[in-house]
Amino acid sequence: MLYRALLPMIEVRDVSRWYRRGVDVVHALDHVSLHIPAGRFVALMGPSGSGKSTLLHLLAGLDRPDSGEVIVAGEPLSQLDDDALADWRASHVGLVFQFFNLLPVLNAMENVELPLLLGGLPRGERRRRAEAALGAVGLLHRRQHRPNELSGGEQQRVAIARAIVTDPDLLVADEPTGDLDAKSATAVLALLRELNRAFDKTIVMVTHDPRAEAFVDRVIRLDKGVLVDSGEAA
Amino acid sequence: MTWTGFVVRNLLRHPLRTALTTLSVALSIFLVCAVLTLPAALNALFERTASSTRISVHHEAGLSYWLPLSYVQRVKAIPGVAAVNQFTWFGGIYDEPRNMFPNFAVDPETVAEVWPDYRIDPGALERFRRIRNGALVGEETFRRFGWRLGQEVTLRGTIFPVNLTLQIVGVIPASGNPVMLWFHRTYLEEAMEPYGGLRLVGMLWLRADRPEAVDGILRQVDAMFRNAEAQVTAETEQAFFASFLSSFRELVRLVLAVGVLVVGAVVLIAANTAAMGVRERIPEIAILKSLGFRRRPILVALLAESTLIGLVGGILGAGGAYGILTALALAGKTGAGGFLGPLSGFRMSPQVALQGVAISVIVGFVAGAIPARNGARLNVVEALRRLF
Amino acid sequence: MGVPLRYNLRNILVRARTSAFSAGGIALVVAATMLLAALVGGLQRMLVAAGEPRNLIVMRKGATNDGSSQLPREAAQILRAMPGVASTPEGTPLASAQLVNQPFIRVPGGGRENVLVRGVEPIAFRVHDRVQLVEGRIFRPNLGEIVVGRGAARRYGLRVGSIADFGRRQWTVVGVFDSGGTAFDSEIWADVGDVQGDTRRQGYSAVRLRVAAGIDPSDMIRRIDRDGRFTLEAKPETVYYQQQAETANALYVLVLTLAVVMATGATFGALNTMYAAVSSRTAEIGTLRALGFGRGAILLSFLTESLLLAGGGLLAGLVLALGAMVAVNTLLRGVAFSMMTFSVATVLLEPTPIGVLLGVGFAAAIGVAGGLGPAWRAANLRVIEALHRA
Repeated sequence: MLYRALLPMIEVRDVSRWYRRGVDVVHALDHVSLHIPAGRFVALMGPSGSGKSTLLHLLAGLDRPDSGEVIVAGEPLSQLDDDALADWRASHVGLVFQFFNLLPVLNAMENVELPLLLGGLPRGERRRRAEAALGAVGLLHRRQHRPNELSGGEQQRVAIARAIVTDPDLLVADEPTGDLDAKSATAVLALLRELNRAFDKTIVMVTHDPRAEAFVDRVIRLDKGVLVDSGEAA
Repeated sequence: MTWTGFVVRNLLRHPLRTALTTLSVALSIFLVCAVLTLPAALNALFERTASSTRISVHHEAGLSYWLPLSYVQRVKAIPGVAAVNQFTWFGGIYDEPRNMFPNFAVDPETVAEVWPDYRIDPGALERFRRIRNGALVGEETFRRFGWRLGQEVTLRGTIFPVNLTLQIVGVIPASGNPVMLWFHRTYLEEAMEPYGGLRLVGMLWLRADRPEAVDGILRQVDAMFRNAEAQVTAETEQAFFASFLSSFRELVRLVLAVGVLVVGAVVLIAANTAAMGVRERIPEIAILKSLGFRRRPILVALLAESTLIGLVGGILGAGGAYGILTALALAGKTGAGGFLGPLSGFRMSPQVALQGVAISVIVGFVAGAIPARNGARLNVVEALRRLF
Repeated sequence: MGVPLRYNLRNILVRARTSAFSAGGIALVVAATMLLAALVGGLQRMLVAAGEPRNLIVMRKGATNDGSSQLPREAAQILRAMPGVASTPEGTPLASAQLVNQPFIRVPGGGRENVLVRGVEPIAFRVHDRVQLVEGRIFRPNLGEIVVGRGAARRYGLRVGSIADFGRRQWTVVGVFDSGGTAFDSEIWADVGDVQGDTRRQGYSAVRLRVAAGIDPSDMIRRIDRDGRFTLEAKPETVYYQQQAETANALYVLVLTLAVVMATGATFGALNTMYAAVSSRTAEIGTLRALGFGRGAILLSFLTESLLLAGGGLLAGLVLALGAMVAVNTLLRGVAFSMMTFSVATVLLEPTPIGVLLGVGFAAAIGVAGGLGPAWRAANLRVIEALHRA
């Protein structure tokens, strides 16, 4: 346990990323370095345009840096091409977004099963795992319902179930409570905390929500693409 | 939940839009099938005259020019000629000019030898030979007027100053010729005695004893009458019909062009719908890609949607056209009669229906191709950035 | 207060591809309708217009057209002398005995077809005064000279001075005539004696005569009918051509059906576009309503947008149709088809009032039908909900 805790799950080495928006060139990340050990629940915070979402995308293998290196669970992501990244994501990362998480034509159960379709598991096995994941978020009884029949908080919890169904190394959440009311937001944060504690899941969460600080182990702050606080306290 | 289930569910998300698009595809394919029936009917006519051994001999100047009767005997002597018959257009009217059908004076003795492929019942042929004023009628004409065997009908002459009363003694199957009426040449000759008799004939039909003999016969006929009183053109039955129908082809081409316009309109409508659908689903596509789904499955799913609309629309449209046209044909309403002559009776064949469905599936595929490709090629991070 | 037109125009332009597709569908409907209407209009013009109001056509009883009728020489003489027949100022009876023949003729570019050769006397040009010589002169008898209608000239590549090959001999073109787009334009007129010689016939097909002023045509028709010497029947030319045109009328029904079906399909397409426009502009609509634009203004605005699209489609369709007509007329030299007489006539495609009316009508109908439902939905959006979706 101790050994695992000391092993860096995520290593970001001198990473820079820029992109074009209309006629401007935006430097989203400017020579950022940090590392996050396994099993931590980390919040990425900062004002709008600070680069926190960009950093999150890099950690999740959705994007590649323009310079520097991102290594997750020992895998140097910048060496992988698009298809290899897609495959890597399917088995190593769980994703939760602020909205549009769930496919409206599928019910909760089917949405949770989606990532398992990529793994080529037999139907029975898929169903078992999906049910386990839904159970872990406390929504097994709502598994036949479609997203338009679920509340905002319930939808996010189903998204979280989908994120953990493949038993990924890393769970990545981009503003998961951004669209929720206070009560649901707290419930979601608590759930993430629970998953982190009970299953030792490494979670990196981008958030604006000040409430989140109470639930996480560490807060990393960015501003204008630069790391201002790596949050490494004790 | 299966793959097709997923595709169908996405289509049912906007039931109104899917229904509207499917219906417009269906309507257009309905039209396309109706339009395709015309050339198909023409082709069917050619197929019917597939006899490779029948030769027509007519006056070089045109079908309204007579040939001397003596020509009949003379061509019998040409080697390779198995049998000879003749047509003389009588042009008689049964009830109304509008309902006119082709009627000819022929030689009853050699009908079976020159037109064996018509498969006329031997009993009917025997009665035809025996009964002086007997007549053989094409199946459709027979049914159209509700005639019975043994019934007497009168044809009022237009070109000839005589009216002829004939007895229906047999039917020519539709696969042979559905509309013609044949009676005895001698019966007409007798009726024309008071007016100076008839020693002319319209055209000749020869049957070669084998296909290889045809070329030789054509040359010999040509040579035989080259310097005669009436010059002739001898050609195979196929060539004869081909030139006869050549003027229809231009009209058919125009109608087909209209059909192309219709298909073009459908592609535009379907492409529009597909593009709309993909645009709305950018967030979902982004999620799927972020989860690890690759381009190809997404492309296939999107393409399947538009192709499915094409398929369903096509089945509805082609099925509808088939049903309606067949019903109309049975009710006898689609004889556009004199105007289209040999094409009377728009019956839509199953092949045309299949063609319609095929076109519609291709349309669905083509219309959805570019939106599907764009959707599959979506850059995840840009999409996410724009969304959030 | 209404929503400014500029809003609608900009929106159409911003959603360029969708608008183009929708307008394109309408354009094709308009174009197809106009082309088909032009075809049928040409047919009607050709058949119906050929009839002179005071002309009678006399044929053998029961004949459907003058190509398949027989009329003896003596009958023609009697008809010429009949009281009630109009005369020229010089005293010649306006009675034209004609022999119609349909020989084969070669089409430049391949193929052979029947052409209608009308053997006539010079008086025919007075009886059919719509027929005007535009080039050259009338034929002289017994010389194998012919005059050709404009359509026939174009189709068979004949000019004044050309040699035409049909029947048993060759003929010389000495003139070209125009009959105002009627069936005669596709015919070749020759000296009746020459045609009789060529076909080895001695009589005629029919006689066309002009009824003198003040005489009742039906009186004349009755007299001819009752004449026991021959089995003839007379009818006014207008009635004769009307009967020929019956098949064209049947075609009109077909054309209309086709066009309605196409228009319905295009309507569905327009509906799709407009519904999508409404749903993607929900937030804007909420804003407009919040700003104070009433339901009626929103309804009108979306309806107008739909009509603007339809208008664009109409214009494009008109251009497309005209272009196609010009192409067909110049490249194909018109549309050829066989009439009841088994000879070939060509129709030039021209825009017809009916075609334009139908095209405009369909575009307007599609614009309204495609816009009404979505406009209604837009107008009835609940403001708060609409804004919330922003």
